[in-house]
Amino acid sequence: MRRVGIVGAGITDCRSRWVEATYWDLFQQATRRACQDAQITTAEIDSVIYGIYNDIFEHQAIPESSLTGIIGMANKPGTRVTTGGATGFYAMRMAAMEVASGMSDVVLCIGGEKATDCYDPRSKTATPMVVDTIAKSWDPFYEYPLGATASDSYMQICLAYNDAYPNDIGDPLVRARIIEMLCHAGNRNPHAQRRLETVTAEQVMSSRWIIAPFLRLLETCMYTEGAGALIFACEERATEISRRTGVPPVWVRGIGAANESYQAGRGGSYKRLHRIDSDRIAAERAYAVAGVTAGDIGIIELHDAFVAQLMVTMGELGFVPIGQTRRLIDDGIMVDPKELADDARPEAGRLLVNPSGGLIFGGHFVGGSNMFSTWSCRREMLARQIPLGLIHGTGAINACYGGAIVLELGA
Amino acid sequence: MTAHDSRSVLPPDYDLQREYRELEGRDGQTYLQFATQMTTFYKQTYGEHSRFFLALRAGRLIGATCPRCKQVAVPAFTWHCPGCDFAEMQEIELPHKGVLAHTAPITIFPSSTFIGDAPFARGYVDVAVDAPIASFLPSRLRTTTGLVRPGIFVQGLELKLVFEDETVGCARDIFWVPMSEVPLHLRDQQPLRASELDFASPVPPAVTVAPPHVAAFGEALAALRGLAADVALSRRARTDLAGQTSRMGVRTGGGDFTLVVAEGQLQVTDGVAAEVDAIVVAEDPSVFTRWVHDGSLTDAAVEGSLWLPHKEAFQLLPILDRLPRSTRRDLRSS
Repeated sequence: MRRVGIVGAGITDCRSRWVEATYWDLFQQATRRACQDAQITTAEIDSVIYGIYNDIFEHQAIPESSLTGIIGMANKPGTRVTTGGATGFYAMRMAAMEVASGMSDVVLCIGGEKATDCYDPRSKTATPMVVDTIAKSWDPFYEYPLGATASDSYMQICLAYNDAYPNDIGDPLVRARIIEMLCHAGNRNPHAQRRLETVTAEQVMSSRWIIAPFLRLLETCMYTEGAGALIFACEERATEISRRTGVPPVWVRGIGAANESYQAGRGGSYKRLHRIDSDRIAAERAYAVAGVTAGDIGIIELHDAFVAQLMVTMGELGFVPIGQTRRLIDDGIMVDPKELADDARPEAGRLLVNPSGGLIFGGHFVGGSNMFSTWSCRREMLARQIPLGLIHGTGAINACYGGAIVLELGA
Repeated sequence: MTAHDSRSVLPPDYDLQREYRELEGRDGQTYLQFATQMTTFYKQTYGEHSRFFLALRAGRLIGATCPRCKQVAVPAFTWHCPGCDFAEMQEIELPHKGVLAHTAPITIFPSSTFIGDAPFARGYVDVAVDAPIASFLPSRLRTTTGLVRPGIFVQGLELKLVFEDETVGCARDIFWVPMSEVPLHLRDQQPLRASELDFASPVPPAVTVAPPHVAAFGEALAALRGLAADVALSRRARTDLAGQTSRMGVRTGGGDFTLVVAEGQLQVTDGVAAEVDAIVVAEDPSVFTRWVHDGSLTDAAVEGSLWLPHKEAFQLLPILDRLPRSTRRDLRSS
């Protein structure tokens, strides 16, 4: 397997809706910015991996087919990945494998979504239709007819976790403090959807209920329209591009993935509802390949679909003990970006979590959300000279899909 | 046998007027938007799942069990054990009782298909409790004690399976209620039908009249009457209430009143009127004072400080929650 580096990244502005662009233009914007960042032309790219979660959002089956020429990928191999919320992660995994295997030397990995063109005629708003479209990810026999949604599914995990570990994620103030920090992070991200907002813990705890008794409006991720692109390259090309740009590559040091069973239950291979085993297994695999531990990581961009899930995931990834994830706040493990200079590293034992603002304040264009995370992680690693970072992705019913990528700052 | 439903697959109001509308972008330019849809209709086979749904039609709950590892799949989502080289699984009759595997989430903000159904609880029921390995049945959870609220469907709760009176062969043919809410003589009945339980007239919680509540009642009533007067002057608030008609009796620990919504107006009358659509209960009348001062009746209902008999009564609350903000915006701007 060849060494794989990330040598360019570009994202669009994250917006609740782009009336000025379809997903065609959003993907082109992201490609253009990634190529500019890497100082390459599309002619130097060998193949493309697309992350597009949902045909319904794009209102076209095979939506990536429309993009081929527009983003300069005509007559090159292109593969689309769709794995729910983990689409971006799995697209990056595919791009890294494409390079590592020797199939391609330079790969464009691009993802995005155009979700809020959806419209619910009864409420006369977009959100219930967006929620319903995502709910179509549940089977039509047993789960969808009961009113399943992404929110109730992830909250089932959190409530089950709370049954097993009752003094942890159930404290609304701890969750609200995390939201405050994510808000501060989003304020620093020039492309963040909610970069101008100020949200206090008190506002979080009095915002309206989405799922009782564990999820209020200000504890949940957004729907974003946008796109993000990354340039993956083999060592030889990465080194050459790096000389050209003067920016060191960020190496993909380890990737791990795991998908749990769709069916929940007791024993066997059934999905355990009180844990996110997919996150744990994915991280263990990524750490093993990279030869690192969670304690070596200085920055993480984590798929925070919901803040209570962020806490559980931080436990599964090994940053805090399961059952004691509130130590992120209680012990000051999570750094408030407001209190850290833009070029400073977190001190030992502390961690930058979602300096992009995450999916709650930064942006969540599903098929490319994890590219957005990687764009941010690379940016912060370069600016702060943080040697190791982690990207996390999750998705599908009951958080069944998990992925983790260890990134290493090049010399 | 074909079970017909008088309703169509898509409700009549689930549609859009054709239009091509101009919108202004952030750059000040004009863009066009068109109304459209991406609908696919299905006559979808249940295939290997048919046995499970045919059993539901007949008032039975079945699973699939593996003769080798003894696991039970409920629902019977496969007939070949994935853990035992796809050994053929056998049908097993399951009891009509189970245990809630984990505390269940309550959906307040539903997807478009389920607008009007919220709040509702959905959870996973452990039915094959004696099996060494078993899947959980994704399930609707209902209570006979009024609106579903936190604290009812908690981990380990013993549950009774209930069949709708008309079973067609779908996941909504069945739901579960707390066993403690089922009369003793019905607990072993298989199948138990929905009409054999009383969901229509839940017993309201008793309220205790106490001096602090009496004082709070006066404050709440004054706040509500102030809000009603503001609504009469507010275009936004009248728009919020347009098309709504409701008479809601309110019992509190400080006294009773009736909230009347009609013709875009809000009225507050003394006592509980003779004919009301629903009677709601709040031990502490301050729930209403907080609402007027930008609090939320929806949250009070979700959290249990405002008791509602059924979800139909809940549907008005998000509309009422808009009124304080609407009146403030109109009266401040004027």
